[in-house]
Amino acid sequence: MVKSIGFVINPIAGMGGRVGLKGTDGVVAQARRLGAKPLAQKRAAEMLAELARQLSARTHAPQLRWLTCAGAMGEAELLAAGFLSRDIVVTHHPPDEPSAADTRSAVESFLARGVDLVLFCGGDGTARDICEVVGTGVAILGIPSGVKMYSGVFGSNPARTAEILLAFLDERLTTAAVDVLDLDESQYRADTWQVRLYHSALTPFEPTYSQSAKALIEAAGDDEVKEAIAESLYEQFAQQRNLLVLLGPGSSVKSVAQRWDLDKTLLGIDAIADGKLVGSDLNETEILELLARFENRALVLSPIGAQGFVLGRGNLQLSPEVIRAIGCDNIIVIATPAKLLRTPVLRFDTGDRLLDEELTGQGYLKVLTGYHRRRLVKTVI
Amino acid sequence: MSDQNNDVSNTRAGAVDERTIYELSIPGRRGCEMPPCDVPETEFPQALLRDESGLPEVSELDVVRHFVRLSQRNFGVDTGFYPLGSCTMKYNPKICEASARLEGFTGTHPLQPEHTVQGNLELMFKLQQWLQEIGGFAAVSLQPTAGAQGELTALLMMRAYFRDRGETGRTQVLIPDSAHGTNPASTTMAGFEALEIPSDEHGNVDLAALRAACDDSVAGLMLTNPNTLGLFEAQLEEVIACVHGCGGLVYGDGANMNALTGIACPGALGVDLMHFNLHKTFGTPHGGGGPGSGPLGASAALADYLPGPVVQRVAGDEGDGTSYALFSPARSIGRMSTYFGSFGVFVRAYAYILHHGAEGLRANAEHAVLNANYLRSRLRDVLPLPFERTCMHEFVLEGRIEGSDVRALDISKRLLDFGIHPPITYFPLIVPEALMIEPTETESKQTLDNFVEVMEVIAREAGNNPELLHAAPHNTVVGRLDEVRAARQLKLSESS
Repeated sequence: MVKSIGFVINPIAGMGGRVGLKGTDGVVAQARRLGAKPLAQKRAAEMLAELARQLSARTHAPQLRWLTCAGAMGEAELLAAGFLSRDIVVTHHPPDEPSAADTRSAVESFLARGVDLVLFCGGDGTARDICEVVGTGVAILGIPSGVKMYSGVFGSNPARTAEILLAFLDERLTTAAVDVLDLDESQYRADTWQVRLYHSALTPFEPTYSQSAKALIEAAGDDEVKEAIAESLYEQFAQQRNLLVLLGPGSSVKSVAQRWDLDKTLLGIDAIADGKLVGSDLNETEILELLARFENRALVLSPIGAQGFVLGRGNLQLSPEVIRAIGCDNIIVIATPAKLLRTPVLRFDTGDRLLDEELTGQGYLKVLTGYHRRRLVKTVI
Repeated sequence: MSDQNNDVSNTRAGAVDERTIYELSIPGRRGCEMPPCDVPETEFPQALLRDESGLPEVSELDVVRHFVRLSQRNFGVDTGFYPLGSCTMKYNPKICEASARLEGFTGTHPLQPEHTVQGNLELMFKLQQWLQEIGGFAAVSLQPTAGAQGELTALLMMRAYFRDRGETGRTQVLIPDSAHGTNPASTTMAGFEALEIPSDEHGNVDLAALRAACDDSVAGLMLTNPNTLGLFEAQLEEVIACVHGCGGLVYGDGANMNALTGIACPGALGVDLMHFNLHKTFGTPHGGGGPGSGPLGASAALADYLPGPVVQRVAGDEGDGTSYALFSPARSIGRMSTYFGSFGVFVRAYAYILHHGAEGLRANAEHAVLNANYLRSRLRDVLPLPFERTCMHEFVLEGRIEGSDVRALDISKRLLDFGIHPPITYFPLIVPEALMIEPTETESKQTLDNFVEVMEVIAREAGNNPELLHAAPHNTVVGRLDEVRAARQLKLSESS
C-alpha cells in the first residue's frame, strides 16, 4: 500500500541558537548578520539518509509518496537522499524568503490532497504552525532542528526520527496525544522562562517495550495509561461530597475530564463539581470565587514534560492565594511513566518562596502514574 | 567451539508445518474400539443427545505423531541451556518426578478422611517445618499455588492484621522500582495503593526516598532480595528498620531465594512475611504451565493470619502413635486454594530437600552465585555491565554494542539459532536494553563457556552483519514474530 507523507522543512529553524538568540522567530535577519548558517537542511538530510538506508535494506519496503514544497523547503533534500522525482509531488512553491505562512500553506496543500502523516523539520515554533492547520486530524512527527524543543512530537535525534517513521509506516506504532509547547521568545530573550502549552497533537508514540517475568508484552499505550489515571481519580472523587475539582492544562489532565464525558479546555483551568463542568478557562478571581462555595477541594496538575514545572509555567492563574485556598495536600500531580522517564525532577515556581518550599515537601512528591499506582519523584525549587 | 555441538541444524527438531489436531480430523476415523457392552442397553435421554461432539476424528497413530512432533518443538531445561533470569530454570531431578508418581500419593483424593491420608499430611507437615527453618519463620502455610498468589496472600494478611489493630489508615504499599511486575498488581488486588520507590545509582533502594515515604499511611514494603538486578540490597538493615520504624511490615518476595538458601535467613533479618517459589528454589518443574507453588512464611506476630488449612502434629490417642491433623489458624484469612495447594509439587520439593540435605541446599546457593559471577566476569567484556558489583544468582547486561544498531531483542533472537534459550529481555525496566541472565547451579563450566563463546560470536556478528541479527532467528521452526502486533491484535483462528 502506498503511504503519503507531507514533508516540510522550516529552512530558518535553529539558526538563532548557535548565535545566542534563543530562538529564530522574528530575528532571522539579525541571526544572518551574526553569521548563522542554515541548520535544518542538514538535520533533514541526516534523517532522510537514514530512512533511505533502512528502506533499501528491506525486501518489502512500504511504498512512499511524498508531498512537499519546492526547493529548500523539502524537494531538494528528498532528491539528494535518493528518493525518485516520480514519487515526489510539489504542492507548494514558497518565495525566496519563506515565512511561517509558507509552512501553514504547505500543510494546507498536503491536507487538501490527503496524507497519512506530516513530517517536518524545525522546532517548537514550526510544530505550533503545523498544529494550527492540522489540529489532531493527522499525525505529525518532527525532525529536531529548533533552538527549543519542548513539545512531545520530536524524535530524540534525526536517525531515531527515521526509525519512528518506519515503525509508524509498518503500523508497529500507534499514535498518542501529546502536548505542543513553546516559549514566548521575546520574554525568553529577556531571561524570563515562560513556557506555554499551545496545542495537543497526534504523534507516532514509541512505547517502552517491556517484558514481564514470563512473556514479552508491549507496555500499555500512553493513552491507555491516561485512562487508568483518570479512572483512579474518578473513583477517588466519587467518595467525596461537596467537592470542587480544578483541572489544570495539558492533555493528561484533559483525559481526566473525559472520564466524566466532559470536554475540558486544553490550555485553561476548568472546574468540575457533581459530575458537571462548573467553570471553563477560569481566571484567578473566578477560581477564588468558586473555591469559596465548596467544602472540599482538589487540584489536578501534570508537570511540563522534561523541565518538570508543576506550578508557575503555563498556569499562572493558580496564584499563591489560589494554592493556599486549595491547600497543598489537595494537589494531585499526575503523569504517565513515559513522561516521568524524561522528567527526572518536579519544580514549583509560584512566586512565593515559602509556598514553594511547602510544595516541595521532604524533597519527594507522590505522582499518580496509573490505576491506584503512584511513584515518588524528586522535587526541587 | 567447545565440546557442545553448536551445529545450528541440530536445533531444527520438528521442522514440519504442523496443523492443529482438529485440522487432521477425517470423518469416520477412530482411534479406539469400544469394548462389547456388558450392561443392559437402554435409551439415552433425548435431552442429553447432540449432533456434533466437537472432537477430532483421528487414529492413534495420528495422535502419537502429532503430539510427538509438537513435543520436538519444545525447549526446556532437559534439551538445552536456559539462562532465563528471575525464573531459576534449574534442572528438575528425575528422582523427584519418580517420587511424585508413587502410587501412594497419586491414588489419594483430597476429600478422603484425614486418618486415611496420614502419609500425605506428614509430608506436608515436614515440608512446612523445613521451609520454616530455611526462612526463619514461626509458621508456614502451603496454600498459595503460585508466587504471585503468595504475594496476594501476604498482602491480605497485612490488611487483616492492621484492621485488627484499628490501623485502617495504612493504605499504601511501598515497592522499589526494581521489583517484580507482579508486586503492584498484587497490591491493587488486595485493596492497597502501590507507591513506587526509585533506586539509587548503585541499584539499591534510594534510602532518602524511602524515608520520605515512610509514615503512618504505610502498610508495608515489598522487597525482593536479591533484587531483580541480581544485587544484594546493601542497606537491607536500614531499609527494614525504616519500614518497621513507621509501623509498617516488610514482605519479602522469595522469588530470588535460590541465592540465599542455607546462607541467609530472611526471618532473622526482620522480614515479617515471605513466599517461597518451590518451582524455582526447590527444583520443581515450571515454565510450561507449572503448576507453581508459593508457600508463605510468617513471623510470630502474623502466624495466626495464615491461610488454612495447615497441618499440625497431634499426640497419638494410644501412647506412641503420632498423627497429623488439618487446622485453621486462629485469625486465618481463609483458604487460598480449594483443597491443599499444589500437592504434587510438595512431593517433588520434599524429595528435592531430602535429596540435597541442609549442606546440599547451601552448596546449591553457593554454586548458583559462583556460576552467575563467572558468567558476569566473562561477559562484561562482551556487553556493557550497568552495575559493577559482585552479583548474586543473576546479573543484568545491556544488550547494545557500540557502533551497531543491534538491540537486546536481536541478541535474544539470535541465541535461539544456537539452541540456547534467551535471557529475560527488557526486564528490569530500569536498565535500558536489559538482558537478565541466571545460569543456576546445575550448569557445568563447559556449558557456561559455550554460552560465552556464542555471545562473542553474536557480538562480532552485530558489528559485521547486523542484518543477520535483525532477522534472527533463522534456524527455528517459526521465524521472527511481530511481538508487538501479537500483543496488540489478538486474533487467533485456525484459518488465518
